[in-house]
Amino acid sequence: MASLRKKINIPVFLFLLAGSVVMIFPFVWMIFSSFKTVADVYTYPPKWLPSSWKFTNYKKVFQMIPFGRYYFNSIFTSVAQTAIQLALSVTAAYALVVLNFPGRKFLYTLIRSTMFVPTVVTLIPLYLLVSKAGMIDTYAGIILPQVLSAFTIFLLVSFFSSIPTILFDSAKLDGCGYYRILSEVVIPNSKSSISTAMLFAFLGHWKSYTWPLIVTNKAIYRTLPIGMKYLVQESSSEYQIMMAAAVMAILPVLIVYLFFEKQLVQSITLTGLKA
Amino acid sequence: MKKATTIVLLLTLGISLVFATGAKEVSTRPEVVKLQVWYAISGASGEQFLALAKAFDASRPDIELELTYSGSYADTATKVSAALLSGDEPDAAIMAAGQLYTGGRGDFSMENLVKDPDFNVDDIFKGMLEYGMYEGRIAAVPYGISSQVLYYNKDITDKAGLDLEKNPPTTWAQFFTMAKTAMEKGNVNNSPDFYGFDTSDGVWLFKSMLGQNGNEVVRKVGDRVQPAFHEASGIEVGRFWKSLVDSNVMPAAQHTNAEKKFLAGNLAFIAASSNRVARWQGTTNFSLGAIVMPGFKNRSIALGGNVAVILTGDQYKREASWELLKYLLEEENHTAFALSTGYLPVRKSAQNGAVVKEALASNPLYKVAFDQLDNAWAYYHFQEMGTMDSFFWYALDEIEKGVSSVEVALAKAAASLEKEIE
Repeated sequence: MASLRKKINIPVFLFLLAGSVVMIFPFVWMIFSSFKTVADVYTYPPKWLPSSWKFTNYKKVFQMIPFGRYYFNSIFTSVAQTAIQLALSVTAAYALVVLNFPGRKFLYTLIRSTMFVPTVVTLIPLYLLVSKAGMIDTYAGIILPQVLSAFTIFLLVSFFSSIPTILFDSAKLDGCGYYRILSEVVIPNSKSSISTAMLFAFLGHWKSYTWPLIVTNKAIYRTLPIGMKYLVQESSSEYQIMMAAAVMAILPVLIVYLFFEKQLVQSITLTGLKA
Repeated sequence: MKKATTIVLLLTLGISLVFATGAKEVSTRPEVVKLQVWYAISGASGEQFLALAKAFDASRPDIELELTYSGSYADTATKVSAALLSGDEPDAAIMAAGQLYTGGRGDFSMENLVKDPDFNVDDIFKGMLEYGMYEGRIAAVPYGISSQVLYYNKDITDKAGLDLEKNPPTTWAQFFTMAKTAMEKGNVNNSPDFYGFDTSDGVWLFKSMLGQNGNEVVRKVGDRVQPAFHEASGIEVGRFWKSLVDSNVMPAAQHTNAEKKFLAGNLAFIAASSNRVARWQGTTNFSLGAIVMPGFKNRSIALGGNVAVILTGDQYKREASWELLKYLLEEENHTAFALSTGYLPVRKSAQNGAVVKEALASNPLYKVAFDQLDNAWAYYHFQEMGTMDSFFWYALDEIEKGVSSVEVALAKAAASLEKEIE
């Protein structure tokens, strides 16, 4: 017991505990608020616990929007977009780091420069392209225009560049081709960075609102952020309904975090990135 | 030769006629006209609109509706803009500033549609009809129309010894004194973040105040729109606005938090949309009151909200869309929509209807918005009015934070608007 006490640095522990409480506070508040009445939400001074537990707030979410359908669509489109985006970004980053071809630097600069173009500028031209391709009100219309990400390529290029070139050379001496180097050297050595890229990509797609709204008209293709907005806009005073929807909406993100926590922490330690 | 030429000409004419007839698509009304309708209203208003639209759909086997929620007003504007460019526009829409997408493209066919004897356009409030105009011509019909109302926390005013029911303020000067008293004596929560007054939409209230002080928002000179809000009587309004902040009655640049503050009991008065009656009543921790907005030289109130437009070019879809709009604006249907959402009835006849009378008798808060109807007006709608609102917003922000004087901030906004119009 005494040795355990020695190992625990009490001030550091208390500092970290305080930090954790600050981070967890909004989530706990959100969960309690999702069971409150309107009067409880706005009472001053604020109340921690609901005066009566209103489970009907959750029911009301399902009554106001087709929550289940939106949930499925969000999971489906976010997973598909993340998978395609990673496949494209990993291969693009690999090519930019490992292959020598004319115009490589120029191409990389060009890709990075697209990060400075605001999304709103490309929104209407992109919509016109998707419309011409007959992809309005389709999953392809939601997914495909959002799978190219200069940021993910940039992130992976910086990670792949840190892999010692000697590993590539050794793999070549062992008879590996480009695909085997990618699958057996680059990817296994970049698990944490790919996980980070995946997390960023998934979060971005999960939150995506404007593009799915613009490109869909039918409820069967719509995603959660559109449904959340429907609850927010006119029911802006009914926080308890929004909180109930938010509690349900964050579950997939929490699951992704739980699964990839180790890799994420590792990548942050390696690069100093903030998630 | 002459005969041959005649034969050739006749043959050419005959062939042309045959092909012309053959090529021409004979347009007949489909058995079921499918309409795509976008709507930018959500929550309780969206539910009520959907219920009415679905009832129409069920009552008309010849018309089929596909109803789509199109996001907030701003999102819907983006969605409609993109759709118009690609030809994917909806047939009809309920949206803010819809007249920019019809009148702005030279489509004033609504002028003829409202002449429909079944519609009785004279029964629509004048100010509301003007709200659907683009450059002075009817390009949309009013639907979810609201005005700002002055709500108050009765617990606070009671503690401060103010009796708003007996002595409501009629001028902003009187109101200023009351708000100050409420602030000094009515802090029921003992909150350090307590104020006398705020508004959730400063730009909207400022426009009303301009009208009350006899100052136009914009003016049409020849064929050009010019800003007028920076003129002398507009600057007077700006100075009153600034005095609210300087005396600490209104917090500087916190309008987005105004409703939350009010609902938490930390604000005595709030100017907010009349549709908050339906949402707030019975849900607050305090006794809620409402009074008619005070004024300067008059009590005029700028209207806000959304309109209904027909965007399709297809004749049969236009006809079917008009049938839908007529149905939505029938006295009975629109009154039901208005009473359950807090929006205002657009028909004068609704005021004398039994349903409205009963609602007003049982709910005096509704009466306030109704009492303001005769003073309601709509300012001149033009292409850059959305941009003008953002210039206005920056001007008020600068005035409240003391970054610029009232004169400079309004002149800057006017110059920016003129540049935008050019």
